[in-house]
Order: sequence, then structure tokens, then C-alpha cells
Amino acid sequence: MGRAWAIAVNTIKQALRMKVAVVFLVLLLVLLPVMAMSVTGDGTLKGRLQTFVSYGLSLTSLLLCLFTIIVSIYSITSDIEQGQICTIVTKPIRRFEIILGKFIGVVVLDIVLLVIFAAIIYAVVIYMPKFSKASEDDLAAVKNEFYTARASLVPAEIDVSKEVAADFKKLVESQQMEQLFPSSTQDEIIASLTKRRRLEKQAAAVGQELVWEFNNVRQRDPNESLFVRFKYDVSVDPTDSQVWGRWLVGDYRQIRTGSGFETAIYRADRKDPIRTFREVEVPADAVAEDGYVAVSFYNVPLNNTVVIFPLEDGLEVLYKADTFTANYIRGVLLILCRLIFLACLGVLAATFLSFPVAILLCIVIFFMGTISGFILESFGYLGANLSLLYSYSIKLLIELLPRFDQINPTKFLVPGRLLAWGFLGKVFLIMVFVKATVLLVLALLIFSFREIAKIVV
Amino acid sequence: MDYAVETISLTKVFSDWWGRAKVYAVDDLNLQIRHNEVYGLLGPNGSGKTTTLKMLLGLLYPTKGRSVVLGGDGADPKINSRVGYLPEESYLYRFLNARETLDFYGRLFGLPAKVRQMRIEALLDMVGLKAVAGRPVGTYSKGMARRIGLAQALINDPDLLILDEPTSGLDPIGTRQIKDLILKLAERGKTVLLSSHLLADVEDVCDRIAILYGGRVQAQGKVRELLQQTNKRQIITDTISDGAVERIKQIVQQEHAECEISSPMEKLETFFVRTVAEAQQQARPTSGAVSTTHIGEFLTPQVQGQDVLEKLVSLHVSQEVSSVPATTEPVPADENVKPKLNEQLLEKLTKVPAQPETERVGTSQTAKTEPVESELSTESDRDEVRRGILDRLTGRSTTDNKKSQQSDRQTSEGADNG
Repeated sequence: MGRAWAIAVNTIKQALRMKVAVVFLVLLLVLLPVMAMSVTGDGTLKGRLQTFVSYGLSLTSLLLCLFTIIVSIYSITSDIEQGQICTIVTKPIRRFEIILGKFIGVVVLDIVLLVIFAAIIYAVVIYMPKFSKASEDDLAAVKNEFYTARASLVPAEIDVSKEVAADFKKLVESQQMEQLFPSSTQDEIIASLTKRRRLEKQAAAVGQELVWEFNNVRQRDPNESLFVRFKYDVSVDPTDSQVWGRWLVGDYRQIRTGSGFETAIYRADRKDPIRTFREVEVPADAVAEDGYVAVSFYNVPLNNTVVIFPLEDGLEVLYKADTFTANYIRGVLLILCRLIFLACLGVLAATFLSFPVAILLCIVIFFMGTISGFILESFGYLGANLSLLYSYSIKLLIELLPRFDQINPTKFLVPGRLLAWGFLGKVFLIMVFVKATVLLVLALLIFSFREIAKIVV
Repeated sequence: MDYAVETISLTKVFSDWWGRAKVYAVDDLNLQIRHNEVYGLLGPNGSGKTTTLKMLLGLLYPTKGRSVVLGGDGADPKINSRVGYLPEESYLYRFLNARETLDFYGRLFGLPAKVRQMRIEALLDMVGLKAVAGRPVGTYSKGMARRIGLAQALINDPDLLILDEPTSGLDPIGTRQIKDLILKLAERGKTVLLSSHLLADVEDVCDRIAILYGGRVQAQGKVRELLQQTNKRQIITDTISDGAVERIKQIVQQEHAECEISSPMEKLETFFVRTVAEAQQQARPTSGAVSTTHIGEFLTPQVQGQDVLEKLVSLHVSQEVSSVPATTEPVPADENVKPKLNEQLLEKLTKVPAQPETERVGTSQTAKTEPVESELSTESDRDEVRRGILDRLTGRSTTDNKKSQQSDRQTSEGADNG
């Protein structure tokens, strides 16, 4: 292990003295403060903070990813191309120790740089409110919606399969299938019918009430708050683009059984703009002893329109589950998972490719990874025949790609969402323990069996 | 017979992308290099010298045949720890300075910090780069880089040195120093395998040579035997009178032989070295390498004439017993207070045994259990003192060296006889 560590230290020295690391360091040290001064967001303090965290972490992550790729590849290919590897391999060191040493060196550098930049961003985020003249409302909004780690509960999917089956049967009997769904497969028709039925359950006609029930709400500290985050959609746009609503939050079972009131039910009558996210805040003691809480929305007749809550993000219940700092640390660890994966990828590519080719390969994979969701989605629109071919070939390959867009920490930190240890653990397991390890083992194998010296005749 | 290096119909074919054979770089090569021998691989460019050396060390894989290095596989870390290798170019990290470079390679050998420190200073002194050791290697001239490359190959006190064109890029003085060094190493019982196309170098230092061409051995044998003109005789005298010359001519004519008389030419190399040495004595400043030519004292001598050793022992025996114990004597290159312990540690960590490891382990264990006070009062004083003297001679303060000395002596004597 001492030998692998000697290689690691040498790799770190190389990155520092060849000024690769210095370039990235200076770039970030200049860009981060400039960004802190210049971001405005939507003008509010919260907007500024969100923009800064989002840009700051994204930039750090992007630059460190590129740094990892370059250093991990360069430190191996340069040794092979310039010949130092000849003097190293002939020492009493096993080849896997060389590769391991390179990997450890890159990861140690990554950790150091990541800690530095994460600390800078954190310091700026913590001290920004103190240096800005924000109003009380602004500060409260920041406290509740940014300096927090809120867990989210979304309504359970309602089972509509029976209704859909009935609809489909009716459709077949009415002989209108071709007319209504031209050139669609049965699956597609059923999916479309299901979506329609689900949307119906999320729509409140004038004077109608919708109730969502949630279990396992783990926040019952009465000093904390519960937030209902929602977004209205409407069938007919109101003139001022706003909708009235009467919200009730509490243990709804008390109303149904009429057994009297043990916990409070909170009521909010309010007017909110449509198609934007809004939040209703109620004290956390609305939650029943067993973690049950219901949210009801009553479509006030004044509205004169059907109010629809979009399927994906129409409504959710949020509560503070952890501190911002803990969440931030997990966010940074998420970036580290990425870097470890890329270090393994770089090391693997460097064991059998030359520097430019390996760089190209890794950067292509990196960018494919960052837009993997988009790629998967766009392939989903292929025709039936092609899609069969695709789902057994490219799709499997894309599944192997790192899904960087799925594990973007800003997705959690900007809206103050809880990034659970469980999620981090899962990402770590898949990305580091499975994918990265496979890459590293492959690299070790290739490097152990390849001819090291350049062929010169 | 046990060889230091042996190749058995070693063949390397470089094929093209489709796997079709293109070039026979090494073709059915059979070499036998004995222990404690300086062996030269000679040949024009592209004759397969470097390829052969790289195959010995596992940097290239042979297409056919195999090689045995120090009784094992040249790619095996256990064997590697007893081999020093200088590649055809001094592949060094440009961003490290000389000291860091040697430290890095020392770490790869797993040498403990104190030993590393001691050896690095000794080697820097030896290759004459002590004054510029703080400069990044990237700023060195080719010759200076070559010296560091050589120092790097010696840091583990190897039994076998594989040097690929050791003198390339060196000035004549550097070349001379390296040649002297090789000879000194050979005196200390190391086996040296070197390749070169500089004939003078090979002629000066090698015991045996092989001339390669097209990957095949064209000629092989002892340099002296290959070059000696047995049908001629040469007489070299100091300045003598013309009359004496005439008399010699007459004697030669009586033998019915031809005779040619002239003043012998000095070798340009000798002249050059002398000229520069004179300049050095006038202390002209230079930015280049200045070598003390002191051989690194840690490099274990493995051959000592038995009689010389005996004389030394008998000389010192009385002094040693009455004065300070041998183990606390100041050691030339190592200032450690407890060199004995360090040495044991070193032996364990470096595993640079000159003989089978089991034997070594055994001796070091017995040495450990010996009470230190009794060392000089027992009847084995003589052996103990011999050890002490060996320490002084070699810069190593070994307690377990005695046995290795004897066994090495036997093997090297065997090699000398053969």
C-alpha cells in the first residue's frame, strides 16, 4: 500500500506542478466571488441565494469533472508515452498498485479541491443575508424555503385500471379507435386513457372539493411548519389569472367520524396566481398523532372555472426534515460520487487509449451522462419497430451511462428539498460501488496484461 | 550452472494491426550471463538490444521462448527488488527535482525513510549532482538526466544491473566515470548487463560480449579472446637509446620476424580527461555536473578477497575488543545511532537478498536474539569484529551479513573459476 501511496503522491505533485490544478483553482477562485457579487436572481434574497448555489455548485462540479477526466487520463498516458512507466513497472510494485495509486491520487486531489470550493460557496451562502438589506418577509421566506431540508410527500397514485379497462372496452365497441387514436398501439392508447382518468381525479369542478391524504409525516414539532406546495391549472383563464381557493389542512378523519377534535384543522382562504408554484404554510401540529394529515381544496364558486392540479407536480406536502448544512454536505458528497466515477472512467480509458482519444471518449460519455434523461426521452418517441430494436441495444447502453442529471445536487438545494441519506446511499452504491468499481477492475485487468513498453524496432 | 540471466530461444515478433508478422526484432536468442560478470550486448541500431532487455524485465512479452532473471521471472516484484534498470532514455518526471526523483523510486522499493535519505545523499554525491539536486529534472541536460537515471537504478543496491546504453548523452568524463563505476560495481560482485553501440565503452568494461544483428547473436565470447591477435607481440618500453632500439631490431630479425618501432599514441579519451582534470584543479567554475566519483558506500560488496579480509580482521581485533563496540562505531555514510536495528529493518523491508531468502531470515533472527552485551565477550569475537570491519568498508552495519558474505564469496569464486 505504501507503494501505491507513493504513486498517488507523485500524481498529486504532477497535477499541482504541471499547473493543471492551479488553472482550475484560479478559475474557480476568481469566478465564485464574482458570481457572489453579481447574481441577482429574481431580485429577492431567496432568488439570489438560489441562483448562487445553483451556479456555484454547477460550475464547481463541471470544472472538477473536467479536471478529474484530464488529470486521471494525463497522469497515466503521459507515463506510458514519455516512458516513465518503464522505470516504475520494473520496480517491485504490482501493476494494480500503480493504477490504484493513480486513482487514489486523483480522488484525494478531488476531495481537497471539492472541500475548498464547497466551503467557499457555503460561507457565501451563509453570510449573504447578513450583508443584504432584506425585508422581514424575505428573511422568513429564505428561512422556510431555502435554509432548510424539506422532505416531500406526493399523493399516492390512484388506481384507475378498472375505469381504464372499461373505457377501452367501450372504445373497442364503439369502433372509433382508428379515428380517435390513429396509428397507435394498444399500450399507447391505454396509457393515454390512464392519464386522462388520473387527471380527472385531480380536477375540481366549481364547488367541488378535492382531498389528498398523507401518512408517515414525521414532523410534529408544533414550532415547525407544514407546507402545502401546489400549482393551479385551469380550464378557462380567469381575467386576472388568479384563482380563489379554500384550503383545509389537518386530521380529516375527525370530520368524517365526527368524533370531536383532538388536533387542529387549519383553514386558509387565499387567492393565488395560476401556473406558478405557491405554498400554504400551517403549523405542524395539524398532523395527527400517527403521522396522518389530509389536505383539502375547495373550488370556490367565485372562480367560474375548473381547477386542475397537474399530475407530476400539482401538489405535495413539505416539512422540515433536516438542516440546510447537513443537506449541503450530502449535496457535495453527491458531486464526489460523480468525480469518483469519472476518475475510474478516466483511468480505464487511459489504460488502452492515447491521451486525445481517451479525453474525447470520456468527455462524450460525461456529456451524454448529463443529458441522459433527455436522450432516453427522445428515444421514447421512436416508431414501434425501431423502438424494439432500440430498447434492446442502445437503451441498455444508455442505462449503463452515469445518470448525472438525476443526481444533480442543485435540484435539491435550490428548492430546499431533503436529500436523504438513503438517496445518497443508493447513488453511491450504483455509481461508485457497482459502475465505478467495474470500470476500475477492468482498468486493472487491462493494465496488468498489456505490454507496457512502446514498440520500437 | 546457475546463471544471473538466461534466455531460452527468446523471440519477439512485431506484428501489424492484422496480426501478420512484420519484423523479427529478436530471433531465437540464447544468452547465458554468469553471476558477477559484466556482459555487453553490442549491435547496430535496431538490432534488438533494447527489445531483449525489455523482455527480460517484462516490459514486452516474448512471442516465443522465455527468460530467467536471477532465477525467476523478470516481471516478478521479488526479482525486481534485486534488479536495477536504466532504460535507453532517462525517463524521469520533469517536475520533480533530483532528490525527489530518487526519493520516489526509493519509496517504490519500500525503503524506510532513513535508509532512503542516506542512499539518496550518497548517490547524488556519486553522480555529481549534489549541487543541483534542488532543480527540477526537466531543466537538466541529457547527460545530467542520465546520471540521475543511473542513480535511480542503484538505489536498491541491486544484484543485477541492466543498463541500456548507459553512456549515451554523456560527455567523455561522464562516460569515463560511468565506466569506472561499472568496474567498481563489478568488483563488488554485481552482475552488469549493458547494451551499447559505442564499441570503446564495451571494450573497456565488459568481460564478455555478444554482437547482435537482426535479433540474432553473430558472435559471442570473452573480449580479450575475441580481440587478442595471438600471432603478434607488443613490447612497450620507457624512452630508450637508439642503440638499444637497433639491438632489439637485430634480435627480432634473428627470429625472422618483422618489427615496427614508434612512440605509442595516447588515447584521445585519456588526454581529454586529463586536460579537464587539470582545468578542474584550477577551479574553473562550471554549471554542469561535478562528480566526486566516490562510489555509494551502501552498495554492498559481495566479493572480498578472503586473505585481505583475514588481514584486516587480525589487524583490528585487539583494538576492537578493548575499545567501543563495533555496532556503535560511526559508519561512513550512515550516522544512525543504532545502525544494527536499522539494518535489520532495512533487510526486512527491502528484501534485497543476495542469497535465498530463507537463509537470511534465519540469520537475522538469530542475530536478534543475541544479547548485545555479550557480543564482544564471547568466543566469537573474531566474527563480530569482522562484521564491524565489514560495516566500515561497506557503509552497512550488518549483523547478518557475515553469512551472506561467505556464501557470496563462494558463488563468486565459482564464477571466477568458471
